[in-house]
Amino acid sequence: MTSLRRRISLRLREALHGYGFIALWIAGFSLFTLVPLIETFRYSLHQVTVTAEGIRLDFTQWANYTRALFTDPNFIERVIGYAIETIVSVPIVLIFSMIIAIFLNLNFKFKGVFRTIFFLPVVITSGPVIRELTAQGATAAPGIANVPAVAEFLAQLPRTLRSPVEYLLTSFILILWFSGVQILIYLSSLQKVDKSIYEAAAIDGASAWEAYWKITLPSLSTANLVNAVYTVITLSHFSENKVIQYIYNQTYAVQGGIGYASAMAFLYFAVMVILLGIVYLFLAGQAKKERD
Amino acid sequence: MKRNWFRRFRGVRNRGINPQDFHVSQIKFYLLLLPLAAFMLLPILFIFSSAFKPSDELYAYPPRFFVVNPTLKNFTDLFSKMSSSGIPVSRYLFNSIVITLVAVVASILVSSAAAYALSKKRFKLKQTLFAVNTVALMFVPIAVTIPRFLVVERLHLLDTFWVHILPGLAMPVGLFLLKQFMDSVPNEIIEAAQIDGASDLQIYWRIILPMIRPAIATIAILTFQAAWNNAETSTLYVNTESLKTFAFYLSTLTTATTGANAVAGQGIAAAAALIMFLPNLIIFIVLQSQVMSTMSHSGLK
Repeated sequence: MTSLRRRISLRLREALHGYGFIALWIAGFSLFTLVPLIETFRYSLHQVTVTAEGIRLDFTQWANYTRALFTDPNFIERVIGYAIETIVSVPIVLIFSMIIAIFLNLNFKFKGVFRTIFFLPVVITSGPVIRELTAQGATAAPGIANVPAVAEFLAQLPRTLRSPVEYLLTSFILILWFSGVQILIYLSSLQKVDKSIYEAAAIDGASAWEAYWKITLPSLSTANLVNAVYTVITLSHFSENKVIQYIYNQTYAVQGGIGYASAMAFLYFAVMVILLGIVYLFLAGQAKKERD
Repeated sequence: MKRNWFRRFRGVRNRGINPQDFHVSQIKFYLLLLPLAAFMLLPILFIFSSAFKPSDELYAYPPRFFVVNPTLKNFTDLFSKMSSSGIPVSRYLFNSIVITLVAVVASILVSSAAAYALSKKRFKLKQTLFAVNTVALMFVPIAVTIPRFLVVERLHLLDTFWVHILPGLAMPVGLFLLKQFMDSVPNEIIEAAQIDGASDLQIYWRIILPMIRPAIATIAILTFQAAWNNAETSTLYVNTESLKTFAFYLSTLTTATTGANAVAGQGIAAAAALIMFLPNLIIFIVLQSQVMSTMSHSGLK
């Protein structure tokens, strides 16, 4: 035993320990996530028919993809809508949760109560609650898009600008409910900022405003990136998301089918990757500068 | 006398950092946070109030936010439906509670161990594994439903108790969040522990886990919700009625009634939504103090 111990190098031992910790997770992940994912990709290249004996696959190359991209008007329209909504929502969620986190990091009475309340969206946006709420139309600021002055204003806007602004007005409340975990991530990185840096800055004559831009914001840059990624992902997986509902309906539709739905899922995934790429370009440079 | 009372909140004593009490300078925070907090509470109030609405108020146009004539009729309807079905409700409840408990504990252990390896250990596949996880995180879950069904079938997990728990264990979101939090645990602490002769298991259990308690509490809340609200597994993978979950049971009650009697169905749905939501809220309230407890005790200065 001891001779074996000596023969393995330190680095290998470290690696083995690492694999040991992650082994269970790898097993679960590859069985229930990775394998299905690869299978889905295979389906997306086939015409899939469910028969009594099992599933029959007819290879069709990229037909499902071209159909989604060039023939199906609904899919592209929904994806574009989703992309615009996400691009509008991410900055709002980030800014809102950053402001709330900065306030909650200050000291005042009943801080704990407020923190609890602002973390509440985590239990709101999942499961039965949000379904009930959207069903009742409670997510839109009631009727704001129908107020004459607002409608007039919307009509004045060029078409490309109109839909994001309209989205903003009608689902503002919904956007704010997505900021629970983000507030938490900001709070935890705010608390890691050393208080004495602020004191030093104050002694050097920095105002609160300057301290915010020069100390607070740079120390939040990593949290920015994590939060942006998290926001894009939760928005994209939100159960009331129109693209997801469309893909789901097509899976069991007669003219749709599993292969077509899988292809759409992969296209949707590609759009999501592009969105994350944009977010990354915006925020990663800043985060890297901080780390150096 | 009045003046004295007022001066209590004006002096220098409670200004600035670490106030012991209310101070005038804090008013601006309350002005901003109170309305926003009220705003965040609205959906919860809405769920509560619509569960007690009589049917004419549920259908009122324009919809009313608060209930005017609260009634328990929705609940009595729901309970009378429950008692008329074959299997006792307690069976579904028992399933749900056991499944949720096991799923939460096991998935926290699996994801945090994996996150520890990805964050603090050095080995070859590390970057690749995290990248694969991030990719999986982005993929639409419903698109993999059918292949996942085939995997479950091949593993002979169909119609067993385990099918509720196993597929949810390796949760990509959990690994993502936990790894991000663990990255901020200083390496110096781990090195110090290693010098003192701590094994990997000890470091993980005694140092890492206590230090990322807020992240674990967050993941616990998220997994709890995923497991508790999960009606899909029962629909897709389970045929035996006595192995299905409470969430599934409630959803059958509401959909069955919306078909036959839409008006009564809405009331039952609202009551069921409240019953499903309450455990979420309770777990949230229990765990949130952990979530919000400060992360600042890094132990290093």
